Amino acid sequence: MFSELARIALLGGVLALDRSAGWNLMLGQPLAGACLAGALLNPGPQWELWALRIPLGVGVLLQLLLTDPSLPAAQRPRDTATAGVVGASVAILCLERLHPYLPLTTGGILWVLVGTMAGLLASVAGGWMEVPLRVRNQLSARRGEELLLEGKLGAFEALYWRGVGRLFVRGATWSAAATVAGVAAAAVILPRAARLVTGPRAGLIFAVLLGVAYGAGYHTHVRTPRHGLRWAAVGAIVLLLILLRSRGGAS
Amino acid sequence: MIGPEPTPAPAQECAPPAAVPRLRGIDLARVASRSFYIQALFSAERQQGPGFAFALLPVIRRLYSSASERGRALARHMGFFGTHPVLAGYVLGLTARLEERRARGTPIDDAQIEVAKRSLASPLAALGDPLFWVTLRPLAGLAGILAMALLPLADTIGPDLRVLVCPLFALLTYNAVALRFRLVAVPRGYASADEPGKLLRSLRLAELKRFFERVSAFAFGSLAVLTLWPMTESADPAGLGPAHTVFVLAPFALGWIGAAVGLRRWPGRSVELALAAALVALILSTRV
Repeated sequence: MFSELARIALLGGVLALDRSAGWNLMLGQPLAGACLAGALLNPGPQWELWALRIPLGVGVLLQLLLTDPSLPAAQRPRDTATAGVVGASVAILCLERLHPYLPLTTGGILWVLVGTMAGLLASVAGGWMEVPLRVRNQLSARRGEELLLEGKLGAFEALYWRGVGRLFVRGATWSAAATVAGVAAAAVILPRAARLVTGPRAGLIFAVLLGVAYGAGYHTHVRTPRHGLRWAAVGAIVLLLILLRSRGGAS
Repeated sequence: MIGPEPTPAPAQECAPPAAVPRLRGIDLARVASRSFYIQALFSAERQQGPGFAFALLPVIRRLYSSASERGRALARHMGFFGTHPVLAGYVLGLTARLEERRARGTPIDDAQIEVAKRSLASPLAALGDPLFWVTLRPLAGLAGILAMALLPLADTIGPDLRVLVCPLFALLTYNAVALRFRLVAVPRGYASADEPGKLLRSLRLAELKRFFERVSAFAFGSLAVLTLWPMTESADPAGLGPAHTVFVLAPFALGWIGAAVGLRRWPGRSVELALAAALVALILSTRV
């Protein structure tokens, strides 16, 4: 568990830098975070199929659900960078530890659901944690200005790099802590609710959540842009024609 | 608007003090590399101001020799500054050029530099946020999801390489555009310091946004078909008829419609809607 947490923390720290320090290379998006966490935590050949599909499922759902088409000033504070890492990590660690208690035929879907829920909650809680960080940054900025007026450029640079380090440490500790909390909560709740956790029930909730994710995607990609519906219809028709043609060719 | 001198740059500068060197390419490259950390001390009060000063440090080090001069010059940039982080390099390049002229004796005061910064930073923010945050980033995520839907499934024993290919698609889609802007921003801002309006027009940010919006909607339409096609085909394996297919697809459709309607009413509440929908589905599944 320790080496897994160390990998989660490292990844969470790097993704927090991408989101908050200004790299903005897209690493901090849930799809990238979840898939990278899945690749880092791959539990081995006995879980091969699901262990790599679960982070993909978690990443896709979180990517659609956490993409807000509002301008940044109008967005709700959500920590999208670590949400993917936490969601995928919780799902994979739960799969390894709790699968014997919940041996469903649709086991993969259950862990995607668990991971997505963990990721959504982590994004909300991580967003709240931005507030004290901003206050701390404000104090550091004032101190930096004082250092510059004193002509201490080296000290200003060191102060700034400490701010970068703080972002990394915050992302790393939050990712690891949220993962531990998520796995612990699942370990307490799921075995006790094993009777309630059935394949059809997991499938129903998954279908609803997938629908909500596609509804959010529709809101982002089709409704928000001008003429979005027209272009979405063109895309749908083109792909439908390709699929029909390929089916005709195959038969 | 910003050029304090009426004639082209090299000829207009006053005779420089012998000790003031010109900025070199390496200085601008250092500024560009530091611009990747421009938001590390982001706060509501100054936004990217501290990051701007931090990124400009190599320029100030080159232009001024004493620590107090350097400190004063950088402290001028510690105030409020806000633009799009991907495009901040253009403002950094422009400011580097003005600071260079000032250090070499051209009469440019603090207010002129501040006005020049804001005259470029504000439109870059206004055009950059809708392009990168509202359009390109969601499109890149969608490209990753489309890659997952299009690529063949792995066999049951081998590793599913889509876990690496999908984020790679997303990263490439976004950075093919964003990184290109970032890498050229500082030198272009430096070279176009006298013509910020022309620089702004040459970036064609509004046109790019319109183009990516259409690609994004097109891609989502394709994704919807790619998802619904196999769902519809596998919904009725026993051949019970269309009513059964509708019944099987109903939870997905209701979730979609509910989210689309809900987000129109409560924009940005997708997390709350998802959690509420999952809870409702759980409760209904225990009752039915």
